[in-house]
Amino acid sequence: MRSTLSARSKQAWLYVAPALLLLTLFLFVPAALSIYYSLTDYNMLAPQAKTFIGLGNYFKLFGDPIFWKSVKNVGQFVLFVMPLQVGTALGLALIVHKQRPGNTFFKISFFAPVVVSLVVTSVLWLYILNPEQGLLNGILAQFGIKAQPFLTSPTQAMFAIIGISAWQGAGYQMLIFLAGLQNIPSDVYEAATIDGANKWERFIHITLPMLKPTSVMILTTTFIDAFKLIIQPMVMTQGGPMDSTITPVYYIYRTGFTDRSLGYASAMTMVYGLAIIIFTICQRKITGGDNNA
Amino acid sequence: MKKWKLGMIVAAAALSVVALAGCTAGKSSSGADDKNVTMWVHFSKEDPEGKAMVQNITAFNKENKKGYKATVQYIPRSGSGGGYEDKINAALNSNSLPDVLTLDGPNTAAYADSKIIQPLGKYITKKSDILPSIIDQGTYKGKLYAVGYSESGVGFYYNKKMFKDAGITEAELPTLDKPWTWDQFNAILKKLTEKYQGPAIDMQLSDHSEMAIYSLAPFVWSAGGNITNKAGTKAVGYFDSAATQSAFKEIQDMVKNGYTTISPKQKGFQTGKYAMLMSGSWTIQELDKQYKDISYGILPYPVSPKTKKLVSPTGSWQYAMSASTTKTAASGALIDFLSAKAQMYRTSMANTVLPARKSVSDEMMSKVTEPMRFLIKQNQESGHARPVLVKYPQVSRTFAETVTKATYYKENPDISALMKKQAQEIQQYLK
Repeated sequence: MRSTLSARSKQAWLYVAPALLLLTLFLFVPAALSIYYSLTDYNMLAPQAKTFIGLGNYFKLFGDPIFWKSVKNVGQFVLFVMPLQVGTALGLALIVHKQRPGNTFFKISFFAPVVVSLVVTSVLWLYILNPEQGLLNGILAQFGIKAQPFLTSPTQAMFAIIGISAWQGAGYQMLIFLAGLQNIPSDVYEAATIDGANKWERFIHITLPMLKPTSVMILTTTFIDAFKLIIQPMVMTQGGPMDSTITPVYYIYRTGFTDRSLGYASAMTMVYGLAIIIFTICQRKITGGDNNA
Repeated sequence: MKKWKLGMIVAAAALSVVALAGCTAGKSSSGADDKNVTMWVHFSKEDPEGKAMVQNITAFNKENKKGYKATVQYIPRSGSGGGYEDKINAALNSNSLPDVLTLDGPNTAAYADSKIIQPLGKYITKKSDILPSIIDQGTYKGKLYAVGYSESGVGFYYNKKMFKDAGITEAELPTLDKPWTWDQFNAILKKLTEKYQGPAIDMQLSDHSEMAIYSLAPFVWSAGGNITNKAGTKAVGYFDSAATQSAFKEIQDMVKNGYTTISPKQKGFQTGKYAMLMSGSWTIQELDKQYKDISYGILPYPVSPKTKKLVSPTGSWQYAMSASTTKTAASGALIDFLSAKAQMYRTSMANTVLPARKSVSDEMMSKVTEPMRFLIKQNQESGHARPVLVKYPQVSRTFAETVTKATYYKENPDISALMKKQAQEIQQYLK
């Protein structure tokens, strides 16, 4: 009996071995190295000359105004993009859920931004949002609204990025919501209709509760993705104007690869990575994700 | 049987680990034959620059009398600077740099300070023929570490028809011998702004990259100001000096008066929407090939009314010898050959760039267009290298941020306070 179990467990290890090997190579080893680097003054140009400096990078981090500014910026981004993107995705899913003519066209239109690279859409939006000759200001002018600075304004730039990100990401989540909607049995709706529930009541008491597992999954992935914001500010504003769109991941990238301070960038990665894990756990607790997802 | 299978999987896993490790390990640059040198360059073999390099290397392998043989690896640089730099960084980790490499001008101090490259002054012949800006760019702590193989420059492009329609005569225009002061420059901008009811010039203020320090630092130098002291140890007292402040005030006023904009229209000059554009020599090719209907000329940098000193930007990629190479004689011979007149001439002509040697300029003058001739002359008379600092990327970025802050004049009306704060910021990056 013992030897059979042992053989079975060997087999199990064999099955997970390839995944474990890749995880070790591309996740555990880099993570362990990052912890080590975060305790050194690692300069990319002089890898052999790095020295151990203890928690020096971590102390520096807590007094770094740009890092805290970037945390505040990403907080603002998460706070606005989550309801906007998830709400838009649900709205779009409800539109295309019902069989009606032209449905395929709408599905493709809503999903199209997802298949285009973020860099490409960011560059396109740069043209659309150009304050001097952009399409959006042209449209606003038709309604008598004066030209807006958008990405060149410290107060508007982050909101512009929030809008673009929600537009880009909603299509993918729409598909997941759509799958969730299609899994709701029609007899539940029929029973509710017989009981006299109107459209709104059916949405509130049937659609939303039955979409909860899907919603939790979407909220969690959107939440984590939102914290990783880098491409849109990198392409469209380079973190400006006046650091109003700099995000922690962009700041980490800049510190590590432009300023070549890999030690300090690693310390930031550690602190920020840990913060995201804690936030994600809290978010799952609040949305009850552990019971339903 | 099961043990045999297990053994196979373990062996395969071990092999893959070794293979992956092997990808980064590379080989050491020291070989058995001291006459064979390897070189990495940051462009493609298919570019005009690459094609000129192929010819230069063929010539070196054929003409040198000591039997040296050079092999070049072409590693194109991506738009964001990756590709080539990634390869260099990986090689630093595995100690597998080539004997000779190319590097961008502003990287000289960081590479020399980290002992990636070694001094090469003794291998370079006819140094007095090389432009002083090129020598300055490659010099760190008094030693020449790298040789720029071309130059670059910026000028003030103007639309001849738009100028004429605005009533600006040729006689009013500045020349290299009689450049315009900021006041005269502003007067012309005012005329154009009023005539065309919009910004007169695209100063590329939406570009927050290296372009900011590269193209706008000459305003600071013309005013007699500086970014740091000569030793590169102090920014306080230099970046916030009255002279430096006056340059940033001039840039701020240009935006404030509506002469330029922080969000210019794309290709505004090329499509006849702006009468002027501040840009580099690369725009000549663009205008000549794609916007043939625009009749344009190039004007010099405006000068500070106090000093009247003409200063223009410079800078280029350079050749350097890795500190790890043991084949110093062969590497030095290769760099000297590539930086010699004939090879520089070939590169400059093929790539339509400014030359880095005076003798090459003399030869090029009769073979290039008038705008190019103008930039070559301006470069020779007024070229100023960017500061050679170990933490240059940080300083360059802080300079660009200062420009952005100055141009947001409503948020930062007090230039003096702004410059004091920014000087402190730069100070923390100096050794």
